[in-house]
Amino acid sequence: MKKLFPIQHVMGYLFSLILSVVALSVILWDMSVALGLTILLICAAVQMSVQLFMFMHIGENKSKTALYTNLGYALLVGLITIFGTLFTMIWGYQIK
Amino acid sequence: MKLDNTLPMEYRSEENSNRILGFWLFLGAEIVLFSTLFAVYLTLWTRTGSGPDAKEIFEIGPVLIETFLLLTSSFTCGLAVHSMRLGLKKPSMVFFGITLLLGLGFLGVEIMEFVTYVNEGATLQTSAFLSSLFVLLGTHGLHVLMGLLWGGGLMLQIRREGYTLETSNKSFIFSLYWHFLDVVWIFIFSFVYLKGLM
Repeated sequence: MKKLFPIQHVMGYLFSLILSVVALSVILWDMSVALGLTILLICAAVQMSVQLFMFMHIGENKSKTALYTNLGYALLVGLITIFGTLFTMIWGYQIK
Repeated sequence: MKLDNTLPMEYRSEENSNRILGFWLFLGAEIVLFSTLFAVYLTLWTRTGSGPDAKEIFEIGPVLIETFLLLTSSFTCGLAVHSMRLGLKKPSMVFFGITLLLGLGFLGVEIMEFVTYVNEGATLQTSAFLSSLFVLLGTHGLHVLMGLLWGGGLMLQIRREGYTLETSNKSFIFSLYWHFLDVVWIFIFSFVYLKGLM
């Protein structure tokens, strides 16, 4: 039974539950939007890493350089899309 | 066929590792797809017109249930791959089965949530906020539904053939897909629900 539940997976699962609760704190306590968003960003980024490294085993693939490059590129395009859109559609209007 | 027996079965042939690499490339495209939907949502989420805003319709209870179901299903999916690598067919099938049931539970809660919204007069046509919300959540939900059909078919095949070079490869790729959906959900949970309720 014990070998069916490797410690790495169990820790990853517990860790992701804890991170969700930490993220939940932004609506439980009064805090500034900037602080709230920072907490959310950090929690989401760490959660993503837990999935990538502990569950998706990205590091064990022999073509891992290609995987990291692809993932980095996809994230870059995604972030440029999101922040570029916010910049042109929302923030841009506020810069006087 | 050249086989490298030092590797887990799903990577063992060259075709198998190429398939895994190919699937990672696909996931890169999926990241970009969801980024565009997030960009639209984050631009339009304050444009509520005469409809309700995020604080009025979001309820944290069902969202927490969805998050818990999906995180747990991602965990059991990881355990399924782990048992598969140990060559334990039955525990692996059980873990995949639990994964799919949790996914089904997630989808059920999400559908109930959509029905509640529509009953409150918050439909796809009500406002830009709701259009972008339903498209983002709906695209994720559709992916989960596809995962359920895919995983169901996969389980039938594993039951029939056991873990072969092909089925272990397919199972691993399915697990990549499932974990990816969990990652997308984490971002929806954080930047749609929690941010909306902040």
